Amino acid sequence: MLMSFEKPIQILVAEDDEDDKLLILKAFERTLPKEKVTCVEDGEALLKYLKRNPPYDDLEKYPKPDIILLDLNMPRKDGREALAEIKSIDELKSIPVIIFTTSNSVDDIQTTYKMGSSSFITKPGSFEELVKVTEEIENYWSKTVLLPG
Amino acid sequence: MKNEQNPSIKQVKIYSIVTLILIVIGSGVSYWTAGRIEYYTDGVMHTSDVLQRTDELYSSILERETNIRGYVLTSNEEFLTNYNQSNVNAELLLIQLQALTIDNTLQQNNIEELRGLINSRVRTFEASIEYMKEHGDLVGFLDPNKINNALSGYTLIKDVVLRINDVENGLFQQKNQSLINNINALPFIVGLISIFSITIGLMTFFSIYQFNKAQLAANKEITLFQQKLRDQIKLLDDSNKELEQFAYVASHDLQEPLRKITAFSDLLKEQYDGKLEGEGDLYLSRITAAAVRMRRLITDLLEYSRAGRIENEKVKSVKLSKVIAEMLEDFEIAIQDKSAKIAVGKLPKVIGSETEYRQVFQNLISNSLKFSKPSVNPEISITSEQASEELINSYPNLDSSANYYLIKVSDNGIGFEKTHVDRIFSIFQRLHGKKEYEGTGIGLSITKKIIEKNGGVIFAESSVGKGSVFNIILPYIKP
Repeated sequence: MLMSFEKPIQILVAEDDEDDKLLILKAFERTLPKEKVTCVEDGEALLKYLKRNPPYDDLEKYPKPDIILLDLNMPRKDGREALAEIKSIDELKSIPVIIFTTSNSVDDIQTTYKMGSSSFITKPGSFEELVKVTEEIENYWSKTVLLPG
Repeated sequence: MKNEQNPSIKQVKIYSIVTLILIVIGSGVSYWTAGRIEYYTDGVMHTSDVLQRTDELYSSILERETNIRGYVLTSNEEFLTNYNQSNVNAELLLIQLQALTIDNTLQQNNIEELRGLINSRVRTFEASIEYMKEHGDLVGFLDPNKINNALSGYTLIKDVVLRINDVENGLFQQKNQSLINNINALPFIVGLISIFSITIGLMTFFSIYQFNKAQLAANKEITLFQQKLRDQIKLLDDSNKELEQFAYVASHDLQEPLRKITAFSDLLKEQYDGKLEGEGDLYLSRITAAAVRMRRLITDLLEYSRAGRIENEKVKSVKLSKVIAEMLEDFEIAIQDKSAKIAVGKLPKVIGSETEYRQVFQNLISNSLKFSKPSVNPEISITSEQASEELINSYPNLDSSANYYLIKVSDNGIGFEKTHVDRIFSIFQRLHGKKEYEGTGIGLSITKKIIEKNGGVIFAESSVGKGSVFNIILPYIKP
């Protein structure tokens, strides 16, 4: 079943940094309703969320994401490990993963694309730019492309 | 070290000079003594000669006396012939003695006196012979007075001859003693000088031995020192790498909180612009401006820590003329705005990375444009020549046996004080206020790092109001 155009997408953000989380949520608020963006604080929580392990078994409260915004440097399970695990699970591997990180190292870019990420975005320096980036993400993944759903 | 000469070597030098002087003095004294010996030997020989002739003269006088007596007793004419021969001999010997003692007045007087006595005695003999020839004997010729005269005449001659002998004997003794003295002195002088020379030779040997010992110890120390130096260099290298790593990591991590400060102050500004009480807006804009500047500093620091880190595969032969032509295209607007004239001479190929050399000349040209005189059109020239040996030797980190290019970037800008020629290459050093000329003060330090990584040197020459020259020394490409 294909998703229809113009339907707001569900975004899951894996970000350990409170400030960044706040800024990302603030930025997405400009274009998306609040409930369309959910957050987890590390790779471990992300996997639990996707596998519907408690406390993420409430589908109402924790809806299935259309795309994942994944920070690379996180405690417990970092972004690379989480990405590898997602891409190794059949039911999850079709969800586009966008790497959203402070890193701009060539190494990180190459390995994460090889591992199956869909995009690699370096966190912008100002809030204004962040808003622009979240708008583009929202636009692209909800309007330009078709998602597996 | 140069002024403080090794004491042993100094000693050896002094000893050698002293030995040389002694040898010269010794030779001189020996030569002089040999001369003296020859002189006195001649003197002794001469005196012997005089003595011998005096003896001969006395003999011929005796012979004459004997012959005249023979003639008077026997009237035999043969005695007369011998008498005449003795007379000739005596005269000849007198002449010879006179010549031999020409430099001795006393002897000359004695000889003259002797001649007078001989002549007067000859005259008496001649008278006797005349009388003999006339009367057949001397009866009536001789009287006691004449006999007395004949006796005293002979005694007088004998006395004078003895006097001559005495004087010559005295001279002989004197000269002979001097000769003996000189002959005795020679081995003494030679021995003394030999002892001195041998002593000094031993001292020299000892000094050289000591010097060698000291040198060996010094060599050992140098080896140790070199090892220490190598260790220190390695430590320095390591700590340099660590520092670079630190700069990279620090600037990278510093970006994190900064990004947030910027983002939140953006948010604050967006939501509360004009709504803040008092000077809230001003403070907020100050925070934003400071954050922007800090971002630039961090970015520059990152760039500095990355400069010179280019991987080896990106290092190749770079055509500087091409790099500069491309770089100047980027400056087109700035060049037109300032009506700048840029002259680029013939430039060589050098080893390095295009990106880095581009950065080098970009920094230099942008500085020249930035620090131009307000009412003067900037004139910038880029030239290249072979670096002189003298210039290469003045930088110990350059290879004095290799060839280098000297690339000059000159301008007619505001220049700077000579005292700042080194400071300008240090990281974050600025000679002017931020309001006068913008920038973080990192461009030249990056430039220096790149040039040094490629085995070169950069130095500046300038004075206030006279423009600046940036000199880049880069090695020739090894064939």
